[in-house]
Amino acid sequence: MGKQVLTTCPYCGAGCQLYLNVEDGQIVSATPADGRTNQGNLCLKGHYGWDYLNDPQILTKRLTKPMIRKNGVLEEVEWDEAISYTAERLSEIKAKYGPDSIMGTGSARGPGNEANFVMQKFMRAAIGTNNVDHCARV
Amino acid sequence: MSMGVPEIEDAKLLFIFGYNGADSHPIVARRIVKAKQKGAKLIVVDPRITESARIADMHLQLKGGSNMALVQAMANVIIAEGLADQKFIEDHTNGYEEYKEFVKKYTPEYAEPICHVPAEQIREAARAYAKAESSMILYGMGVCQFAQAVDVVKGLASLALLTGNFGGPNMGIGPVRGQNNVQGACDMGALPNCYSGYQSVTDDAVREKFEKAWGVKLSNKVGIPLTHVPHRVLEEKDEKKKIHAYYIFGEDPAQSDPDLNEIRETLEKLDFVVMQDIFMNKTGLQADVILPSTAWGEHDGIYSACDRGFARIRKAIEPKGDVKTDWEIISLISTAMGYPMHYNNTKEIWDEMRSLTPSFFGATYEKLEALGSIQWPCRDESMEDKGTPYLFTGGKFSHPDGRGKFFATEWRPPCEVESPEYPYSLSTVREVGHYSVRTMTGNCRALANLEDEPGWIQMSPEDCEKLNVKEGDLIKVYSKRGSLITRVLPTERVRPGATYMTYQWWIGACNELTTPYLDPVSNTPESKYCAINLEKIDDQAWAEQYVKDSYESIRKNMGIDTAKKEV
Repeated sequence: MGKQVLTTCPYCGAGCQLYLNVEDGQIVSATPADGRTNQGNLCLKGHYGWDYLNDPQILTKRLTKPMIRKNGVLEEVEWDEAISYTAERLSEIKAKYGPDSIMGTGSARGPGNEANFVMQKFMRAAIGTNNVDHCARV
Repeated sequence: MSMGVPEIEDAKLLFIFGYNGADSHPIVARRIVKAKQKGAKLIVVDPRITESARIADMHLQLKGGSNMALVQAMANVIIAEGLADQKFIEDHTNGYEEYKEFVKKYTPEYAEPICHVPAEQIREAARAYAKAESSMILYGMGVCQFAQAVDVVKGLASLALLTGNFGGPNMGIGPVRGQNNVQGACDMGALPNCYSGYQSVTDDAVREKFEKAWGVKLSNKVGIPLTHVPHRVLEEKDEKKKIHAYYIFGEDPAQSDPDLNEIRETLEKLDFVVMQDIFMNKTGLQADVILPSTAWGEHDGIYSACDRGFARIRKAIEPKGDVKTDWEIISLISTAMGYPMHYNNTKEIWDEMRSLTPSFFGATYEKLEALGSIQWPCRDESMEDKGTPYLFTGGKFSHPDGRGKFFATEWRPPCEVESPEYPYSLSTVREVGHYSVRTMTGNCRALANLEDEPGWIQMSPEDCEKLNVKEGDLIKVYSKRGSLITRVLPTERVRPGATYMTYQWWIGACNELTTPYLDPVSNTPESKYCAINLEKIDDQAWAEQYVKDSYESIRKNMGIDTAKKEV
């Protein structure tokens, strides 16, 4: 059975509303919704920009497993190892050079507001620095 | 934006400055066309003949990098011809007398040789802008991505103050923000100087509120902006002031930031680089840890549109692979570092954010469900408060005294200008069918079929003739910082001497060429101006093979099994 999921387009700041049409757990098309800013219209990215979720591997490849660089090469690892390794290295650097030696970014793209809130909280409360910024400038 | 997107179509005059809506926001651009159909006057200021310029009543095709001179010449005319709104100035502004004195020098005749726009055209534009019943300014990266950017923004706002174009519907000043959630990342405090809702980290009362909520002492020192990272890694001598670790979440500086050579060197020098993203990218190639996350379509949340409109995103499908949501990954690392964070869903995060952010407090998940979109500020949880379509109602501004402040300063040329060795200017622009660093749209079959590597350089037919190149030829482009190969696109839309490249391409990566010079206030790089040279490639067959091989090697580097999948 197919379903329609109402969401906001992830391209540009127009905030267009659209339906993702899902069949058998796959997105098959997008339909414009009657949003405040788009009133039933979508541009070409809104219409066709969901296909990356199918990972057609045209330019690059979807990341599907955490990785750690070991002896110069990125190797797939389990989440536990990736998280504890990252936490240890960050803690080490923080202890050695202070919290302001660490920089973090937010993301102006897909993740959403909540992820950005959590990131700046992490940088400020856990690391202890205001070194957090994102690509608004570039 | 001080106004909402829907209001654009009801302005009586649209003053579109360094903003190419048709390419960057097609659905916003639709409102520009509608405004025109409803009888609005259109004035476009842009060095290129954009789609908006084509339908405009007036197109001021200024030389890139001369924005400030033009803005102040407009002010000069408005004041000199008695077109300023004296009542609005008296009731709602500060600094008018100094402003008036300063712009005296910026006569249209003074601006003409700087802007390459006839003085009379500047006069006509200024008169039309001042006389319209409601004038709205829309601006884009053609204002912001210069080393003199914040000045121009304040200069444009001063034009609106001067003519009383604030405080009502269908007027004001609108930075039409590029990326889907650049407004949201700012709203949430992913900025070095403020928490969510633009609450300053240096304000003791604000900081104490966050300290209490988060149970930890917080730094009162403003952090460093992203664009300072290369300097803090490569040039900072004091080990204590150096950046040693970089946690990069959902961006690809190795493609999107200026002067890529310098960025690669920076990533190389850092002790520790974490990359958290959905696709392998150029930054990932230099990372020490890669944390794979869910993508749009696979997670819930809220985005902020360019006009301050919050709206929901919803999970449509299950992610494939061993990935987690971004907020869960960050929370796990935080917990492992001894500061426990745990959330069950995005609503819990949003509710915490709301409780600490008065201007967003009223925008609950429930209300968003009911209304679809809410423009902040929205302070009250009750259904009565449906948000704020336009800001500064009745001419009340956010300065403590409620008054808007005039601003004028000298025009400054771009940091790197044309020279005998590098006789052309280059500006980076947008591609209509592709987005940002292209990891998303470049992996959508329909969009990749429309336009793919290595991208194009837009050049005037005169320059093409001079270099003896034609449409589709591969050409070498180089600056003091790097070089690349791209395709020639002759177009009447650009002036001789000026060239344009979209920043989506990996082979024709224009950021190999751009300068790292920044606006001193916003720290935005001058992506809209650098000096380059062009060189015809005689052996086109070699160049075509080079592009093909480069694409194969990029795909291979990104982990694609190229033997299995042809481009």
